[in-house]
Amino acid sequence: MDASYNAWRLAFLAPWPRWVLALLVLAAIAAVLLSWRGLAGEPSAGRKAALLSLRAVAALAALYLLLEPAVQLLQTARVKNRLAVLVDRSRSMNFPIEPGGEARAAAAGHFLAESRIALERAGAELAVEAYGFDRDAWPADLASLARGEPARGGHTDLLRALEAVAGGSSAPGRRLAGVLLLSDGADNGALADGLGPPGRAALKALGVPVNAVAVGSEAPRDLAVERVAADDFAFVRNTVTVEATLRARGFGREDVKLVLRREGAVVAQATVRLEPAKELYTVPLSFAPDTTGTFVLTVATPVLPGEAVAENNARSFVLRVIRDRVRVLLVAGRPSWDERFLRGLLREDPNVDLVSFFILRTAGDNPGPQDQLSLIPFPVTEILGEQLRTFDAVLFVNFAYQPYRSLDIERYLPNLRDYVRGGGAFAMVGGDQSFAEGRYAGTPIGEVLAVDPAEGMGSTAESFRPRLTAEGRRHPVTSLVPGEGANEAAWSALPALPGLNLTAPLGLEGGARVLLEAPTILVRGQPAPVVAVREVGAGRTLAVTTDGSWHWGFVAAEEGLGNRAHQRFWSNALRWLVRDPELTPLQVQPERPSVEPGEPVGLSVSLRGPDYGPAPGARVAAELVSADGSSVARAEGVTGTDGTARLEFPAAPPGAYKVIASAERPGAPPERASAALAVRSSGPEDGDVAPRPQLLREIAEATGGTFSALPRSGLPELKLADPEVVEVGRRRDVPIWDRWWSLALLAAALGAEWMLRRRWGHW
Amino acid sequence: MDRRTFLQMAALGAGTLALPRAARALGDPSRLTVGQVEHGGRWNPRPAALRRLSWELNQRTSIETTGDAVPVRLGRPGLHRHPMLYLAGDGALPAFGEAEVAALRRHLQYGGFLLVDAADGSDGTGFDASVRRELQRLLPSSPLGRIPRDHVLYKSFYLLDQQGGRVLTHPWLEGQVLSGRLAVVYSQNDLGGAWARGPLGEWEYDCTPGGEPQRETALRLGVNIAMYALCTDYKDDAVHLPFILRRRS
Repeated sequence: MDASYNAWRLAFLAPWPRWVLALLVLAAIAAVLLSWRGLAGEPSAGRKAALLSLRAVAALAALYLLLEPAVQLLQTARVKNRLAVLVDRSRSMNFPIEPGGEARAAAAGHFLAESRIALERAGAELAVEAYGFDRDAWPADLASLARGEPARGGHTDLLRALEAVAGGSSAPGRRLAGVLLLSDGADNGALADGLGPPGRAALKALGVPVNAVAVGSEAPRDLAVERVAADDFAFVRNTVTVEATLRARGFGREDVKLVLRREGAVVAQATVRLEPAKELYTVPLSFAPDTTGTFVLTVATPVLPGEAVAENNARSFVLRVIRDRVRVLLVAGRPSWDERFLRGLLREDPNVDLVSFFILRTAGDNPGPQDQLSLIPFPVTEILGEQLRTFDAVLFVNFAYQPYRSLDIERYLPNLRDYVRGGGAFAMVGGDQSFAEGRYAGTPIGEVLAVDPAEGMGSTAESFRPRLTAEGRRHPVTSLVPGEGANEAAWSALPALPGLNLTAPLGLEGGARVLLEAPTILVRGQPAPVVAVREVGAGRTLAVTTDGSWHWGFVAAEEGLGNRAHQRFWSNALRWLVRDPELTPLQVQPERPSVEPGEPVGLSVSLRGPDYGPAPGARVAAELVSADGSSVARAEGVTGTDGTARLEFPAAPPGAYKVIASAERPGAPPERASAALAVRSSGPEDGDVAPRPQLLREIAEATGGTFSALPRSGLPELKLADPEVVEVGRRRDVPIWDRWWSLALLAAALGAEWMLRRRWGHW
Repeated sequence: MDRRTFLQMAALGAGTLALPRAARALGDPSRLTVGQVEHGGRWNPRPAALRRLSWELNQRTSIETTGDAVPVRLGRPGLHRHPMLYLAGDGALPAFGEAEVAALRRHLQYGGFLLVDAADGSDGTGFDASVRRELQRLLPSSPLGRIPRDHVLYKSFYLLDQQGGRVLTHPWLEGQVLSGRLAVVYSQNDLGGAWARGPLGEWEYDCTPGGEPQRETALRLGVNIAMYALCTDYKDDAVHLPFILRRRS
């Protein structure tokens, strides 16, 4: 054979079509059958066999000549198929292969190092490609993978990695013959819940045997808060239940305390009795949030001795606490028109849950026998003590604490002050029992009022027309209509007010702002405040130093103005008091409430102008503040045309954080807003430390591959699809039919048969 | 000084003591001043009635009043300075003008309150016939109806089971409702006649048939009506119910 040809195969050179060839074969068979039939009367078996054999040889010789067989010489080239070595580089590979054993990544490295020679040997027939994978697969150097360095991937997605290597290759055209998969099987991607029918179908569609080598067989001792099921938001003062799933491996019978913390303070806890044969525990933790806002909550267990991972003992999540309805406490010192119209307005508001208490008689009144009255004792202990914090806002309308000696209301004033400082809202509305007339100067309430109710100032019955201050022109409380000019005109059109409690404005350092003033009534040389607001600690207070605000509604209606100003003013006031988010010019929103470890923290900061439209071009800043109050990161930006800026903090350590945003607006006080977010202490890779060899076994079975587990020495048997592909280069046909002996054989067979038939009398 | 003069002076002293307490609110507009509707008929048949009711309110409750009622004309400015109006009459009432009806309707629709009192105790004639006609014009979509016994009006201050007045034409009150509240309360029992007290402290009219208990009930009803005008359904709040049920049982 020519040395340039390295393969051959049998071919037929007959030019006839296949059906002609088939007819020839049938004719040859018919010739043998005819001979057999003609010999039916032959008594000698030997003669019969000889004649049939000669006929068969003749038929075969004839066919040989007619089909023209030839040897086809071929020139071929071998193309190496691929073998993908896929090595898990997710963080779960850093856990020990077994309790007290080496890290899984290191064990995988050792296995690769030991198998390297065998893989190189396989390289003679296969193209060995190495990949690392976690959520995705990427080409890697086999030698670097064999070093077994600590893994960093935050996710494991076996199916996605297998699909990636099956679909792509650095050498196009080469077929993937098989995969050698090294992993602990701790999938948290598509196969996190096991290999169901869809996963099995996806693996079969790969068309590639996956030879799995399980790294890790036994879970180390570990306690983990594996999952926390909680709604995104909850209603304030309504019980919310958080369902925590605890996974415990390697523990005997012992009690573990599970706590739910809100920004450091424990709000719920439970004790879990661990059982040796049980791994998963679902624990409900219930609490009633008492304030609105966005909070980071953390479910945590103590770190027990010998645990594989400490970081997965806590899991944080963000809960937004909203109000279902604004709960308002209205306390009035006596029935009055101001109380009447304010209560009517609040009663009609579907968003307000109103609780009212009016003093209908005093100790000096003599209405007759008590049992003929509908009056009830003023429940001072309940509403100003125990239940105070259940209210979003407390309104004192012409109410003095001092005349009711037996009730000892003075005892509760510090509680009311602390309620405000702790985030509550308080408004004092004027009358002959309010401010200085109510002797609030020097009391705990006086400390949080939005005006100075200095003793002895008293009140005036002088009629006046209030005027917006510079602050009042852009403040939401005094915004009756959109637009500064229109708003001033709306205020100017309102009827004059009949009287005023005399108070003095507080300085800006007290956090107070006068929004509406009486220009014709001076106190200490300044216009007397009519409406003032104040930020006190985390709370807000409002002072309305007149008992005539009902004139903005009922009296204004007679003048054709309707009662909208009264409604709008009090609606604004209440929304501002309870921090309605829509009234906050600056808003900050993290892009995700929970951030995986090592990921940057993105957030958007939106700013609105005094007219409540977007404020473009404003400088905004945000600070990431940890639970201990220290600043972790700071970012700055400029708002775009939509009034929003996107800021980003670099990756922060795990924990709960407040984001405090601030904005500077020309001619306006700085605005601040806050939000909360959690940087997870553990990602999905750290939640469950157990290897899942069974999943790897199922993957191998589903794809027709092999399964083995570490520790083992050397490369396991690999199942590979179609070991090679042959490509044809050139070929040459060498006929073998046109030889003399083939014709001689035909003639000899036919001649011998003819001669013997004549001799044995078969003609 | 003879005995009669002494007694008159003593009575005047008692009357002085009975005057409303010194005003403490931020001017008169802050206190309860009832506006008495001046109309074309005998609009003020019991001139001392509202002063006495004010006095009783001051003595019995924490409500601050100015004492005297203020005459108001329905078509004139200032009607809304007085959210509580009192419409009384003795004999037929001339029809209100359209502007007057519109002004009164607006007053009530924006939260005002009207107490109507038939001083003549009429039923189907006189003041009763004409005021029913006017009230129908006033709020045509809310006809007068009997106020049920369990209405908050009967427990807004006193727990009341009976009617009071100079007479007892009907043992009930009627009312017109706007947005769930009583905007108009109508008595045919001459409440003003039971309230009215002369300058010497004597009651101006006898109450029949119940005598002084009927007068006391009329005063208590007046207190409840004023309390309702200022607090509306406050006593229907859930927190009050256990106490009220216990006392009614």
